Amino acid sequence: MRRTGLLLLTSFMPEQEALSVPPHWLPDHATLGNYLTFFTPSGTRSIVGRRAAENTLPGIRNSVVAACGTAALNLMLGTLAAYAFARLRFPGRRSLMFLHLGSRMVPGIALIVPLYLLIHHLGLLDNLLALVITYLTFTLPFTIWVLKSYFQAIPRDLEEAALIDGCTWLRMVVRVLLPAAAPGLVAAAMFAFMTAWNDYLFAVILTSSMAAKTAPVVVAGFATDVTTERTLMAAGGVLAVVPPLLLAFLFQRFIVQGLAAGAVKG
Amino acid sequence: MIRRRLSESQFGWLLNLPALLGIFLLIGYPITYSLWISFHRYNLKRPRLFQFIWFHNYLTILTSQEFWSSLWVTMVFTALGVVVIIILGILIALLLNEPFPGRGLVRTMVLVPWAIPPVVNGLMWQWLYDAKVGALNGLLVSVGLLTSYRGWLSDPSGALFALITAHVWNAVPFAVILLLAALQTIPGELYDAARVDGSDGWHLFLHVTFPWLAQPLLIVLILQTILAIRVFDIIYVLTAGGPGTATTTLTWQTYLTTFDSLDFGLGNAYAYIVGFITMGLALLYFRLLYSRGEFEL
Repeated sequence: MRRTGLLLLTSFMPEQEALSVPPHWLPDHATLGNYLTFFTPSGTRSIVGRRAAENTLPGIRNSVVAACGTAALNLMLGTLAAYAFARLRFPGRRSLMFLHLGSRMVPGIALIVPLYLLIHHLGLLDNLLALVITYLTFTLPFTIWVLKSYFQAIPRDLEEAALIDGCTWLRMVVRVLLPAAAPGLVAAAMFAFMTAWNDYLFAVILTSSMAAKTAPVVVAGFATDVTTERTLMAAGGVLAVVPPLLLAFLFQRFIVQGLAAGAVKG
Repeated sequence: MIRRRLSESQFGWLLNLPALLGIFLLIGYPITYSLWISFHRYNLKRPRLFQFIWFHNYLTILTSQEFWSSLWVTMVFTALGVVVIIILGILIALLLNEPFPGRGLVRTMVLVPWAIPPVVNGLMWQWLYDAKVGALNGLLVSVGLLTSYRGWLSDPSGALFALITAHVWNAVPFAVILLLAALQTIPGELYDAARVDGSDGWHLFLHVTFPWLAQPLLIVLILQTILAIRVFDIIYVLTAGGPGTATTTLTWQTYLTTFDSLDFGLGNAYAYIVGFITMGLALLYFRLLYSRGEFEL
């Protein structure tokens, strides 16, 4: 965690200190100046990093939208498909799963050019929707696969008991299956969210303006050819990490034994 | 209600339909297009020389020096990275499975490295490893392990280890989350029963925890291997494949061929070779771990 600490500490330093040799661990002149830059970018002292500073908060907002959208769609579509794989027998099951996983074996680099052309054709360039559906294609196969495994671990008696008691299938899923599979669902949602949050390659190619640029693209932009404002970048990096952490903190308690054990014992 | 009107297999396909539409409508075209291109000679520097050449691209790759050296780098990187990630992942997940005060906070802290986009991660590590002002040098010198500042990234094996470290740091939280979720679904009674029979720590792990972990572990193994093979962002930022070709993995080589040399035909062929290798590894894992439990794809 030293590295995170370093990031955090640097963000409070003025630029000259950050580059000093030997390095200062604790800022001698701690300043909130770096953070304030993001909120009043036109007043910034830094000429070079200014555009990146202006764009940081909108970039983070875009990332949040794209990542939440991806996670939500993943859960919705993935749960349905995973249930089918876990509980139902239908022809072509194994081949379908192979196909899903196989589609993820090809590195993104090969797909980027045709994908760009396709998105352009659909008129969705520089649009968050394009990012969401692109991320969906690479997270959904894994989500399905992972959820299938967690669903399989839940004993069938649970579902059958609910169905015998007169629940409709949908009700059974919502009231019984999902709570029991909560840890797996949270893990899958986190994976989808983080994959969308962290992506750089597709984001940088499919977006061109702040209408859709996401945080990684903006923060990477701090490292311009002329100079790199390390401290601004550190502050930007810290801000970029806050939303996923917040969400993680809120949801990590769902990965709790209580819920799962209760369902199985009851 | 719905169930009585549809057969099981129809219902199964119905449930899968939205996901299928979502995935294949979008990615089907790029995948088939790039496969098709890989069978052609297509270099953007000479775009009119577009012709179908069967497997010629693949042959060229398999007989080239760059391929085998980048294959080696990729294997070393992946093997070391995945082993460390799995070991750390299991240890940390086991730790976080035990109740202790402040656990929620620690769990969130563990996720920090994952929440940092690889690009930012790379930039941060680049600065840490910097030969002149890097913090790593500063730390080691002040502790006395080093007498003067070193250029970590300009040394071939140093660069590879630096890359592995940056990647492991970024990837461990994901493994931890999956394993932790799995550990949480183990019914407590199994542990109680085993304790009553006289089992202690290590045996508990071996006979109760591990069988339940086997399938999620397989998933983690496969996912981490795939991730390791596809590492791109940190190479882009930290070493650009260097020094020399010390950190040129297969994925990096694919990138160079496609975007640097602008040889799309060859580049796509590289990509598909990487795809097959990845698939092969995944199948290998299934075979090896098959005896540990019931696995179905």
